Amino acid sequence: MNLEEPNEVSSSRVDENKMASPVDMNRTEADDQEKKSNIIVFRLGEEEYGLRIDQIKEVVITPRITKVPLTPSYVKGVANIRGNILAIIDLEDKFALNNTISETSGYTLVVESHEYNMAILVKDVPNTLSVADTDIDYSPSVVADMQGEQDYINGIIKINDRLIILIDIFKIITKEDLKPVLGA
Amino acid sequence: MNQEELKQIFLAEAEASFEELNRLFTQLEKNTTDREATEAIFRIIHTLKGNAAAMGFEDIASIGHLLEDIFSEIRKGKIVLTSMVFNDLFKAIDKLGEMIDGIKVNKKTPYKGLRAKLKVILRNLKGDIEFEATQGGESSEEKDQALDSILASKVELQEEKVEANAYNEQPVPIGVPLADEFEEETDEEKKAKITFSDFVQVPVSKLDTLLNLVGELAIEKDRIIAQGASFGTTNEYTRLYRITSDLQYSVMGVRLVQIGALFHKFHRIVRDVATLEGKKVNLKLEGTEIEIDRNVLQIISDSMIHLVRNAVSHGIEGPEERKKKGKKPEGNILLRASSDKEYVIIEVIDDGNGVDAKKIRKKVLEKNLATPETLSALSDDDVVKFIFEPGFSSVENVTSVSGRGVGMDVVKRAVDAVGGKINTKTILGQGTTFSLSLPSSMAVKSALLFVVNDVEYAIPLSFTEAVISVKKSAIHKVGNGLVTSHLEETISVMFLKDIFECANNDELLEPHLLHKSFDKINTDDSKINIVVVSVDNRMIGFVVDRLLQQKEIIEKPLGKPVENARFISGATILGNGNVCLVLDANDISEFLFKPTFATV
Repeated sequence: MNLEEPNEVSSSRVDENKMASPVDMNRTEADDQEKKSNIIVFRLGEEEYGLRIDQIKEVVITPRITKVPLTPSYVKGVANIRGNILAIIDLEDKFALNNTISETSGYTLVVESHEYNMAILVKDVPNTLSVADTDIDYSPSVVADMQGEQDYINGIIKINDRLIILIDIFKIITKEDLKPVLGA
Repeated sequence: MNQEELKQIFLAEAEASFEELNRLFTQLEKNTTDREATEAIFRIIHTLKGNAAAMGFEDIASIGHLLEDIFSEIRKGKIVLTSMVFNDLFKAIDKLGEMIDGIKVNKKTPYKGLRAKLKVILRNLKGDIEFEATQGGESSEEKDQALDSILASKVELQEEKVEANAYNEQPVPIGVPLADEFEEETDEEKKAKITFSDFVQVPVSKLDTLLNLVGELAIEKDRIIAQGASFGTTNEYTRLYRITSDLQYSVMGVRLVQIGALFHKFHRIVRDVATLEGKKVNLKLEGTEIEIDRNVLQIISDSMIHLVRNAVSHGIEGPEERKKKGKKPEGNILLRASSDKEYVIIEVIDDGNGVDAKKIRKKVLEKNLATPETLSALSDDDVVKFIFEPGFSSVENVTSVSGRGVGMDVVKRAVDAVGGKINTKTILGQGTTFSLSLPSSMAVKSALLFVVNDVEYAIPLSFTEAVISVKKSAIHKVGNGLVTSHLEETISVMFLKDIFECANNDELLEPHLLHKSFDKINTDDSKINIVVVSVDNRMIGFVVDRLLQQKEIIEKPLGKPVENARFISGATILGNGNVCLVLDANDISEFLFKPTFATV
C-alpha cells in the first residue's frame, strides 16, 4: 500500500478532489513524543464513530450492491471493489441508529483484513484525526450492553466537545450474528 | 505418474532440502543450542530420508537415516555439539548433495566410509564420550590436510579400517584418521559449482492471485469485445481475445497437478488400515497421470481418505469370510481416474460386501431420518444415498479407523463445495463403487445467467438440464409444493423469489412459502420460465423472472462474513462490473427435500 502524505496529522477533510478516486488512508504513525493514534472518524446516525486507521484500507464511492438472500439486514449485500467481492455492512442498521446513509450516493470504507472481505457504508468521506492515547478512555464500562456485546467498543475519545466512539470492526461481526446466515 | 517425473519432483525437493540443510547447519554452528534449527534439521532429514527410501535411492536413505539418528540424540540434549562434530556433519551434508547430483547423471557416490563414520559418531554420542577431550579441535584441520595426500591413495584400506572401527565397541577417537573423509571428490571445480533446479516452487497463494488477475482480465476482455461489437469492429479484437484466452488457460494449466500425487499416498493408508483390521487388501491405481486443479485435489483429499478407509474397513470382508463366499482372500481396491470434458471422474472401487439396503432402511428408521411411508417408496439405490445424510453411520461397531458417524456427509459436502457430484453403485456381495465427478479446474465454468427480482444470478451448466416455458395452468399445487411435468416426468417446481425474499430461517419454514409467488400470478396464460436442474438425479424446476445468456464465469467463494450464505455457492463479477451470485443447487435441493421440511 502506498504511504502518501506521511505524518499529515489533521482533522481536516480529505481533499475534495480525491473524493472521486479511492483515497488511500494508510499513513505512517505519528511519531511525536507522546503516543498518538490515527483514527478515522465518520458519522453514523447522530453519533461520531472512529476506527483505527490500520483497520481501513481505502475509501471508495459505494459501488452497486448485489443483495444476498437470507443474510442479516445489516449485510446490505456484496459488491465488486477492485475485483474483490466484499460484503457491504451497514453499521447504522447494526447499531439500530437513525438511517442517514444512502446506499446509492455514499462512500464505502474498505476494511483491511485477511480474514474478512468486507466494507462499511458511510455517509461522507471520513476525516482522519490524530488522538493522543491519553485522550482515549479505554474503560467505557458505562456502556452496558444487555447482550454482553460491548466487546467491540474499544474506547471513548473525548476531544473538545466531541465524543467519538472507537470501535473494533472485527469484533462487530460475531458468530452469534452469523447464525441466521448459517441456516438450520 | 511415471518414474521419471517422480524423480524430477524428488530431485527438486531434495535440492531444496539440501540448501535448507546447509543454511540450518551454518546457523546451528554459530549457536549450537539453537533448538529450532535442530528440530528443523531433524524434520528435513526425516522427510528426505523417507522420500529417498520411497524412490529407492538407498544411499541417500542410509546416510539420511544415520543423520536422523544423530539429530534425534542431539534433540534429546544427549550431546553438546562441538566444532569437530560439525566438520563431520558438514561433510555428510556435502555427501548428500553429491548423491543428489549423482542421481541426475546416474552416478553412484561411494558412501560406505561416511556411513561408518557417522555410525561411530553415533556410537560415541550414545556412549556419552566427550570428543573435545580426545581431540583438540584446532589442530584437526591441519592434520586433515596433511593426511589428505596419504589417504587419497588408501581409500579402500581406509574404508575397511573404518568399518572395522565402527564395529569395535571401544570408543573411537574422532578426528585424525576418521574425520578425514577420503576425497573421492578430486574434481574441485565441481564442488564450487552452484546448480539451480529446473523447478520453481511457488506458493499457492501467488497462483491464486494470478488466477484472480487473469479472471479480471477475462471479464474486461468480454466487456471490451462487447463494446467493440456495438461499433462493428469485432475483428480488431480477435488477437486480444486469443491472447487472453491462451493466457487464462496457461494459468489454469499451471495449477494442475497429477492425480497420482494423491493416489500414491493411499498405498500406505490402505496397508495400515488393512493391517489394523486383519485384512488383506491389494490397491491398484489407474489414470494417475490425469490432471486436476491443485485446490480441488486438496479439498477432496480428506474425503478420498475417508472413502478408501471405509472401503477397507467396511467394504472388504475378512479373509475367512471372503473364502466362504468363494472370493480370493485378498480384497481389491481400485482407484481410477479418468477425464470427461471439463470433469475428472475419480472412482473408488472395492470388491467387498457392498452396501446392504435392508440395513440402511432399518437404520434410517432408527435414526428417524425418514418416515416409513416415504422410505418404502424409495428404491434400493435411493435408500443407499442415505449414507450421505449427516449423522448416519451404518456399521454397528465403531472402530478406530472409520465409522464415528461423521464421514460420508462430510464427503458429500466436500464434493458439493467444489461443484462436483458423487454417485454410488453397489451390488450386495460383490462390491461398491463410489464415483466422484469433479471439475478439473475450479476457475472457469459455464453458467446460465438469469434474473430474479432484478438481480442477476448464475447457475453452473453442470446442473442445468433444460430451460422450459410453461403456462401457469401447467403448474399444480401438490401438498406444500408445486409440480409440473417435463418430458413426461413430474418434477418439483419452486419460485426462487419465494426463498430469496425470506429475511430469516423462520420465514423459510412457513408451510405455504412455496405457493406465495404462484398465487400472485393472476392469468392462467402467463408464461413462466423454468430452469430445470438435476441434483442427485432429482429434477427440480427453478422459476426465474427472465433468462439471460450463457456465459463462462469465474466463480469466487464469498468471504467472511457472508461465506456461509444459504443457497449461494459463490459469486462472479460480470462484464459490467456487477457482482452476480452463483446458485448452490445442492443446498436448495437439500432445503426442498430435507425430511423435516417434507414432513411438516
